[in-house]
Amino acid sequence: MKIELSGIVQEYPAPEGVGVLRVLDGVDLTFEEGKLNMLLGPSGCGKSTLLHLMGGVRPLGVVSPTEGTVLIDGEPCTGHHDDVVMVFQRYLNRPDLTVRQNVAFPFRFKLWRKKVPKAEQDSRVDEMLEAVGLADKAHHRPSQLSGGQNQRVALARALVLRPRVLLADEPFGALDAQIRHEMQVLLVDLIARFPTTVVFVTHDITEALILGDRVVVLSTPPARIADDFTITEARPRSENWLRSTEGSQMAARVIEQLRGGHGPEGGGQVRVTV
Amino acid sequence: MWNPHEPISSRQRQILGLAGLGTAVAIWAGVAASGLVKPYFLPAPWDVAAALLDMAQAEGDRNLFGAAWASARRVGLALIAVVIIGVPLGVLMGSSSKVNAVLSPLVDPMRSAPVVAVLPIVVLWFGIDETAKIVFLWLGASVFLIPMVRDAIVAVPRQHGVLAEDLGATPLEAIRHSVFPLALPRIVDAIIVAVGVEWTYITVAEYVNAKQGLGYLIQTYKRLSANDKVFAGIFVILVMALVTDQALKLLKRRLFPWETEA
Ligand SMILES: Nc1ncnc2c1ncn2[C@@H]1O[C@H](COP(=O)(O)OP(=O)(O)OP(=O)(O)O)[C@@H](O)[C@H]1O
Ligand SMILES: [Mg+2]
Repeated sequence: MKIELSGIVQEYPAPEGVGVLRVLDGVDLTFEEGKLNMLLGPSGCGKSTLLHLMGGVRPLGVVSPTEGTVLIDGEPCTGHHDDVVMVFQRYLNRPDLTVRQNVAFPFRFKLWRKKVPKAEQDSRVDEMLEAVGLADKAHHRPSQLSGGQNQRVALARALVLRPRVLLADEPFGALDAQIRHEMQVLLVDLIARFPTTVVFVTHDITEALILGDRVVVLSTPPARIADDFTITEARPRSENWLRSTEGSQMAARVIEQLRGGHGPEGGGQVRVTV
Repeated sequence: MWNPHEPISSRQRQILGLAGLGTAVAIWAGVAASGLVKPYFLPAPWDVAAALLDMAQAEGDRNLFGAAWASARRVGLALIAVVIIGVPLGVLMGSSSKVNAVLSPLVDPMRSAPVVAVLPIVVLWFGIDETAKIVFLWLGASVFLIPMVRDAIVAVPRQHGVLAEDLGATPLEAIRHSVFPLALPRIVDAIIVAVGVEWTYITVAEYVNAKQGLGYLIQTYKRLSANDKVFAGIFVILVMALVTDQALKLLKRRLFPWETEA
């Protein structure tokens, strides 16, 4: 499944109330089948905006995109797409439902009830619970789980639909380093089992280098693509690889791009956790 | 040091609550016993207690239990109507800013409207029978419930609806499966407020042509200048309102244990 963004410009009403704030300034990007694509950029550069455009989520009261087109397999993307599912930093699990019910949540909707027979729904849910390691917590409620476990529920709820594209907006951004690392390992594992094209937004350079087949770097707003490179090193990638010449050169290159051409303050908030 | 977040055990809360109540009754008893205020204006606690016993044993439409039942039945029937009509309306207003724009000027100012003054109109339209009383209670409580339900829906972060639609929900399914369940505890709060409002309006509702009920009892004894019985009637309404309130709050804690966790 191919996603093509061309000439994407996004403007929002300026926070001061006068004029407009240009966030994305002509972004051209193509995501090909079955890769783990990392979208990196300083805070507020429009990463979420770009991801929402691909996911068909439109902001209220703002034309989106201001200019440009989003094509999914050649078709203009105007709203929800059955094959594209998003995961957010906030897990958004229903607090009143059990873990199992949360994973099965999309099957409450007519769309999926028609598409997926009941028996298959059940077997997929069981399979997902086992895949994210929550089979023994199936009857717990979200409040009885840790943050990492809650995000596992959200991942399972997305992948239970077997999406061909998974859009993740800083899904591990709220977790501490140790748990974040576990989740990164889990994600690599999951997409090996349930292949899907992933676009993963992060502002953590280490995360981008540990996970990505490809790393796209956006500049500070008005954002353009500052850098776009592939990483061929096989996963899982070790700490040692990160500290190797290749790894550290890549990190340096990203930092350089994030800061480049915008003066000393231009880097925004960039997190490096090597 | 005073700490506004200091936890309090339920035992401590009960003791403090009873202490407050006890002090109020003690002051009341003291004032009554001192003879400073005539019993006509302030019947003594023991007189009110005696009046209660008296009323409990009264025959016919003056029987306290019959009256309490008649009032409770009106409150209950009106509440069913309040919930059946008000909750969907509030959800609709909370889910569509257009519907809200249309209905909000009609509903919101009514909270401070003199609902009591509306009684003659209700009587004019619905007659002097049971229907008018229930319509009046329904009206009085609905104007509180509907905006509260709307606000409960609006308070659910938009991302929940966005997620549901991203997972394939229609807008209606997103409300039904994502927004409404999260708003439900606050909707139940609105229902609890609605019952409270109904209890405050029950005496007014029973102003016109009631043949039984606590409000009717209070008026009857007022006419007879039996103020100890008037106090007793008010006391019973307070107790019944308190009991419904506590029962609903208990039910709410049972239904939504997740609300206080997290
Ligand atoms: N609906 C909106 N209306 C007005 N301004 C918006 C809206 N959505 C985003 N913005 C603004 O656009 C800019 C980019 O927002 P966006 O959320 O896409 O950035 P981001 O790269 O995801 O940031 P972060 O790293 O903080 O998540 C921000 O300045 C934000 O305030
Ligand atoms: Mg963002």
